[in-house]
Amino acid sequence: MSQQKTQMAQTTGHVWDDDLQEYSNPLPSWWLIGFYASVIMALIYWMIYPAWPVGKHFTTGFNTVTYVNDKGQEKTWHWNTRAQLMKDMNEAQKMQKPYFDKVAAMSFADIARDPELTNFVNSAGKALFADNCAACHQSGGQGKPGFFPNLTDDDWLYGGTYANIQESITKGRHGYMPAFKEVLNATQLDELANYVASLSGEKADAAKAKAGDALFHSETAACYYCHGNDAKGRQQIGSANLTDKIWLWADVPGQGTPEKKVEAIRTVIANGLNRGVMPAWEDRLKPEQIKLLTAYVHGLGGGK
Amino acid sequence: MAAVGVASAEQYNYDIVRKFTIMALVWGAVGMLAGVYVASELAWPFLNFDVAYITFGRLRPVHTSAVIFGFGGSALFATSYYVVQRTCQTRLFSDGMASFTFWGWQAIIVLAAISYMLGYSQSREYAEMEWPIDILIEIVWVAYLIVFVATIMKRRQPHIYVANWFYLSFILATALLHTFNNLAVPVSLFSMKSYSLFAGTQDAMTQWWYGHNAVGFFLTAAFLGMMYYFVPKQAGRPIYSYRLSIVHFWALSFLYMWVGAHHLHWTALPDWTSTLAATFSIMLLLPSWGGMINGIMTLSGAWDKLRTDPIMRFMIVALSFYGMSTFEGPMMSLKDVNALSHYTDWTVGHVHSGALGWVAMITFGSLYHLIPKLWDTRMYSEKLIGIHFWLATIGVLLYITAMWISGIMQGLMWRAFDDFGNLQYSFVESVAAMHPFYAMRAIGGMFFLTGMLLMIFNAFMTISRANRNVSVAVLNPARAAAA
Repeated sequence: MSQQKTQMAQTTGHVWDDDLQEYSNPLPSWWLIGFYASVIMALIYWMIYPAWPVGKHFTTGFNTVTYVNDKGQEKTWHWNTRAQLMKDMNEAQKMQKPYFDKVAAMSFADIARDPELTNFVNSAGKALFADNCAACHQSGGQGKPGFFPNLTDDDWLYGGTYANIQESITKGRHGYMPAFKEVLNATQLDELANYVASLSGEKADAAKAKAGDALFHSETAACYYCHGNDAKGRQQIGSANLTDKIWLWADVPGQGTPEKKVEAIRTVIANGLNRGVMPAWEDRLKPEQIKLLTAYVHGLGGGK
Repeated sequence: MAAVGVASAEQYNYDIVRKFTIMALVWGAVGMLAGVYVASELAWPFLNFDVAYITFGRLRPVHTSAVIFGFGGSALFATSYYVVQRTCQTRLFSDGMASFTFWGWQAIIVLAAISYMLGYSQSREYAEMEWPIDILIEIVWVAYLIVFVATIMKRRQPHIYVANWFYLSFILATALLHTFNNLAVPVSLFSMKSYSLFAGTQDAMTQWWYGHNAVGFFLTAAFLGMMYYFVPKQAGRPIYSYRLSIVHFWALSFLYMWVGAHHLHWTALPDWTSTLAATFSIMLLLPSWGGMINGIMTLSGAWDKLRTDPIMRFMIVALSFYGMSTFEGPMMSLKDVNALSHYTDWTVGHVHSGALGWVAMITFGSLYHLIPKLWDTRMYSEKLIGIHFWLATIGVLLYITAMWISGIMQGLMWRAFDDFGNLQYSFVESVAAMHPFYAMRAIGGMFFLTGMLLMIFNAFMTISRANRNVSVAVLNPARAAAA
């Protein structure tokens, strides 16, 4: 102890700025041992993993990874991140595969009747939906008025059967309505808007609505071409049912007064629509994933 | 006392040190305010107000540049100019060039902040400035190098003090890093937009070689230089070990240059590059700790000062956070740990335990030591320094605890599988789960910012009182002498 004290007292003899000095203490031995240990650890790491470049190649290390590739062949490779990813994915895929095989082979009706498979659909569908669909249709599938349709009600623009939904996901959809301000004047637009509002029981000017009714079924506006004589829409082309109280493009429920509700409808008629685009997923998801998503979306509440 | 002040004002250029010190405080407040705001935007997104200029993406580089280059950079200019003069016992090489580095550096921070808010960015982390600003940085930095080296060359001391080695390595390395990371081709002479000379993975490699060495030399080596002067000065004791300072200086300088690629684990980067970065990071642990040991052991024998001296407390806590984050860093650079931590808030927490805990704390301690010396007075309030210490410490702890929890939770949620082998959580669920910790982080930042504002108040009162005393001394020498 006393020897240590005398050692502590020795400085290098340099003095800066009046009082700055340095003791000439040796390196702490635990520090030095720790440093050597970290070097040894690095040496071991280099022997296990790819480490040093040599010419056009590199030292691969002893560690290997065995995985099954896309073609189902078992491969062993020196450790690398790609092989490690494949191996990790293999484990998940091994668990998923029997279920996905069943989903691919069975009919939608049979899938819905099988409780275990339904659990699987809900588990896999949740992540698939969240990662692919929720950005537009929202996390619960409730959609967003004015932008994206609600998938949880029983109103379907393009049909709510398994086949319809599968078609929508696989090929995508593109909703279109022309802008009627190019062919109709302000009075006519107003009359039509009042008529459309009246169709689902919203408060409307009766006289205007009557004139709008005539326009709707006339060759001037020709609304009935797409929305049908009964204004209930045609699912083959995705035209909306105007007689229910469900609104997508015109946010009628969100408006406070009858005038504003009519105005919201008028705006859509006047400007038309060219933004109801849903991308096609056939190039991004595998057929069995689309089939599973179909069952999942059908099960969100409104499938027919 | 006044006579001493006048003598050192003639012997040394304190004017430049004072200017940089004041701007360090100003940028500290601006940068931390921006930090608190962007943290709040993450917790409460309505704060974006749909105004493009203040959205997270544009305001975040304003925060990082203002705290790293504005606050940290100005503090380093101030302390390096002070330390190099006092330890070489000579005046700065050129007052004019030193003054140029001051105005140039301040212009750079202002231009950078404005250009970010207007949407100009190189999209390189901590090097977002577009090419015209990069050129200005290059010029200012070369002037800094010349002033610093020329001052050392005309020293009246036979030996170069350890703090100056660290400052010089910081200046040299930053010049090298800045130059190579910003090699870019402008779209046209009158366009702010440029494209990097490197492509793809090489570009990412270059960026993180820069990025991590900015941490290594700007935020570590340079602040170790600060530590090597102000800790022994404040403690009134010699540095613990000269030998340790040499060995850890060279080990640190050599090893840091290799480790940048650990920011790119599990990417398109070749695996061997990734391994080398991980192993050099591990080997960097003890050299990093060399500085901590030297600082803490310098204090041994003066522990009682911790009870009475809040400046000493700042320094010892800074060294502790330095030790902790230089331990955490190598752990996170291991591939398996990184698989969990990468892209999560854990990284953000790690950076801030270094940036707030080490860089800002050692700066606060050093500036509290420096300000009274520069204005030849005493700090206005010791008590406020004590309160600042606690605000800062609580702020850092809240911040890093929030980010640890949030980060590890993110990492675990992203990799969780259910019994069917399906991903258990969607990404958005992990976002929702982070919310309380984002709020906690913002609150931690508010504590830290409040401390910074207290410091500015304290410094302002100190300086204005010192200036009043000087005018008293000039106008009424008899009264000043009596006082």
